[in-house]
Amino acid sequence: MAAPSVNISVESAIEHQIQEVRYDGQEIYVAPLSMSENLSKLAHKIDFYKDESEEKGKPTSEGEKESDEEKVLAPFQPSLWPWDSVRNKLKAAYTEISVLYDVLNIVKEKHYMVTDPVNQDGPELKAPLQMLAKKRSLVAAAHILSNGAERLKRVQNEMASVTQENFLMELLKLRKNWRLKKVHNTILGELSYKSAGSRFWQGGTFEVLKTSDLAAEGEIVPRKSSLDVIIPSELEGVAYILVEVKSVVSDLMNITSATLKMPSSLGPVSADTYWQLKLETAQNVLFCKELFAQLAREAVQIKKASTPHMVVGNQILTNVFPGVQLSIVLCHHTGKEKKVNLSSEKLEHNHVLEHSLHQLLREVHDRNLKCSAPHPVNAMLGMTRKRRLAGPRAMSRQELMEMGENESLLEQILKQTKHAVLRIRSMHVIDQMAVSIQDPQLCAHWSCLNSSLESSVRVSVTSYGYESIRTSLVLTIGIDLIRVVMKDGRVCTLSFEETELRDLLQWQICQHHTHSIQHLAKVQGWQVLSGIVSSGFGDMEAYGTTSNVLMASPRSNVIVSFHSNPVSGSKLWVKKVEPSIETHHSPAVTANKWASLSGEFQEVNLQLLEGRNLVGKIDMLMARLSLS
Amino acid sequence: MGVSCVYMYPVPEGRSGAHVVEVLQKQVETIGGVKMGSFVVDCESYLSIMLSVSKTLQILHNTEYPASCFAVLDSGATLVADTLFNGLLSHLKAYYQARKGSKIESKGNRYQLADFVIKIGSVTLSGSFKGILVEVEYCPSVIASECWNLMKELLQSLIGNIAESPPPSLKMKMDEIYTPAMTMLQYLEHFNNFRKAAAVSQPPR
Repeated sequence: MAAPSVNISVESAIEHQIQEVRYDGQEIYVAPLSMSENLSKLAHKIDFYKDESEEKGKPTSEGEKESDEEKVLAPFQPSLWPWDSVRNKLKAAYTEISVLYDVLNIVKEKHYMVTDPVNQDGPELKAPLQMLAKKRSLVAAAHILSNGAERLKRVQNEMASVTQENFLMELLKLRKNWRLKKVHNTILGELSYKSAGSRFWQGGTFEVLKTSDLAAEGEIVPRKSSLDVIIPSELEGVAYILVEVKSVVSDLMNITSATLKMPSSLGPVSADTYWQLKLETAQNVLFCKELFAQLAREAVQIKKASTPHMVVGNQILTNVFPGVQLSIVLCHHTGKEKKVNLSSEKLEHNHVLEHSLHQLLREVHDRNLKCSAPHPVNAMLGMTRKRRLAGPRAMSRQELMEMGENESLLEQILKQTKHAVLRIRSMHVIDQMAVSIQDPQLCAHWSCLNSSLESSVRVSVTSYGYESIRTSLVLTIGIDLIRVVMKDGRVCTLSFEETELRDLLQWQICQHHTHSIQHLAKVQGWQVLSGIVSSGFGDMEAYGTTSNVLMASPRSNVIVSFHSNPVSGSKLWVKKVEPSIETHHSPAVTANKWASLSGEFQEVNLQLLEGRNLVGKIDMLMARLSLS
Repeated sequence: MGVSCVYMYPVPEGRSGAHVVEVLQKQVETIGGVKMGSFVVDCESYLSIMLSVSKTLQILHNTEYPASCFAVLDSGATLVADTLFNGLLSHLKAYYQARKGSKIESKGNRYQLADFVIKIGSVTLSGSFKGILVEVEYCPSVIASECWNLMKELLQSLIGNIAESPPPSLKMKMDEIYTPAMTMLQYLEHFNNFRKAAAVSQPPR
C-alpha cells in the first residue's frame, strides 16, 4: 500500500508535575526524579514498622475488614451525641444546685449548723505594729551576728595567746628581723653590723634557745616568751657614748672622771626581758664599742693636731679651744661591777654631738657597703663614681688630691664641737650685751636653718624712738672663726676669742651713735663737717677706737663735736661762735663756719640732758641750738 | 681649673735653650712666683693603616690632669678619656700604629703666683731640644674673654709682645666656658709647628 507518507511526530507527554504557573503563562516544572531519587522515594513509601510477620499470619482480608469497621465508627460517634457536652454540663449544674439546696436547707433549719458572720478586715495590719515586728526580727538577726563575731574574736585571742607560746612562731618573728643560721642542733644568730658595712673585728653571735628546755631543768618560771637568746658576755649590759664639752681651767686633765657615770634611766637589762629588746641593747653595745675603737684609733694616729689627743682607758680627751676640752667616754655598764658612788656631779652629756657621732659612723658603714661596680668591667674595683669620671671630666691635680683626702671621724666631730662651742659663745656674748646695754638696743636674729658646721646671725642696733636708723651686721659662725659682714659691706674675720666679738660689737655701737647723729643733722639742716667712724686720734684708751662727728648748725654759729668710745663713753662738746667776729679774711677760708673751728669747746654733761636716750638727748640739744 | 694660654717663646740666635729657660724662671721668681713641682705634657701620633688616606690620631697627656688622656683627631675633635684609654690603643694595633720618633713633650717647672699658675716647659722631640713653651693659667675664671686683659698684663711682663693677642685656637672660643681640652689643643698646635719645623730642617734620609 503505497499511501502517501504522513509525518507523525511522537512527543512525550508532559509527565512532569507543574510546580508553578507564572503570570506570563510560563510553567515551571518540578525537575524529573533521577533513578536514585526515585528509588529513595519508593523506599519511603514502605512502612518498616509494620510487622511483616503479622501481616503474613493474618489473612489480608481480615485486615481489610477491621479497617472497614473503623471507617464506620469514626464518622458515626459525633453524629450519635451532638448535644453530649451540653447534657453533661447541665447534669453537673443540676448536681451543684441540688447540693446547694441541701446546704441551704440545713442552714435554714438550724438543726445541725449555725452560720456566723466573718470579720473581713483581718489582713489589714497597722504600720507601727509592722515596724515593731521588723525591729524584733532585726534584733534577733543582729544578736546572732554579734554572737558569732564574739566567738570569732575569742577564738582569735586564744590563737594569739597560743602563738606567743609557740616557739616556732617566735622563731619566725625573730627570723624576720635578725640573721639566723642553723649549726647542728643549735640556732645561731648574728647581731653585728657586718652586713650593713661595718668592719669591726668583734662579732656578735648569739644563740637562740627554747625556754621550755630551760624550764625542764627545774625552775618553772612563767615566761612571756617561749624563746630566749643568749648574748655573748662581752656584749651584755648597756652602753652609750658620753660626749662632754668641758670648759676646764686645765692644770690637770680630769682623767679620773672617766669612771662610769650611768644615768639612772639606763639601768641594766634584766634577765627576762623580751628578746627583741635584749638583742637591740646588745647591738647598741657593739655599735658603741666600734665607734669608740674607731675614735681611739684615729686619736692615736692623727699627728696633725697641735696638742695631741689623749686616750686613757675608756676616755678620749681632745682640746677644742684653749681651756675647752672635748671628752668622749665609752660607758659600758654590765651590771657586774661594783656600785660606784656616783657623785652628784651633773652629767653634761651633749646629745647633739653624740647623735652626730652615731651618724658619722653610720655614714662610714654606708660608704663601705656602697661600692659601685667597675665601669668598664675590666677597670679597677672599688672606684667611686666621682673617681671613675675624673678622667673623662679632666679633673685637675688639685681636685683629685682633694678627693683623696678622707677626713677622720674624730676630726669631723672635733669640727662640729668647735662650731657648737663657738656658736654658744657668740650667742652668749650677744645676749649678754643685749641685756647689759640699754642704749642702743641690740637685737639678734638667728637663722633657724643651719648646718652642723655653719650658722648665721643678724644683729641689728637701733635706738628707741629712732628705729628707722639701723645698723645691722651679719655674723657667719664657722668652725673656728666668725666672718662679719658690716653695714657698709666690709668683711672682717674674727677668731674664736669672744672678746674680739665683744670689741667689734661695741665699736659697732659707737658707730651707730655717730651714724644716727649724722642722720639727725641731715633732718635738722645741720652741716656735717667731718664724720670718722674709727679715728686714730684722741685720748689713749684701753681698747677700741673712737668714732667722732663734727657738725655746724644751719646758721653756722654753733659747732658740735661728738665722740663715742667703747671705754670712755660718749662725749659732746659745743662751741658758740659770735657771728660779728670776722677777724681774718684769708682766701683759704671760704665760709664763716670754717673760721669758727678753733676756739673754746665746752663739754656738755650728757647725763644731765633731758631725753630717753643718747640720740634723743642730742636731738633735743640740736633742735635748741639751731634756734639760737 | 681656669683659663690657660700657651705661647712659644723664641730662642734667640746663639743662645742655648737651657739658658733662656733659666732666665725665664728667674724672671718668674722675681715677680713672686713660687715653685710648685714640675709638669710634663706629652704627645704621640698614631697613623691609621687601614684607610687609603692616612689619618693621624694624637694622644696627649698632661700631668695637670693626671687621670685623663686626650685623643685628638685631625679635625680637632677631642676625646677626653681616663688613662685606661692607653691600654685600649695597644689593642688597636691593627688600625692605628704609633709613628716612630714622634713623641714630643714639654717639660719643666710649675710656678704658682697668687691666682696664676705659670709653666715654663722646654720642648723635646725624640730627645732633642726644639723650643720653649710658656703656659699661664688664671685659675678663678672659666671665661677667657673676662680674664684675658689680666692675663695679657702678666704675660707681657714675662714674654713681651708675643702675647699681644690670645692664642689663635682660643680666639674663636673667648666667650665659651673653658675646658681642659682647649689647653691640650693649644699644646698640640705648637707641637705640630715644632714637628713641621723639624721636618723642614732635617729632610728624611
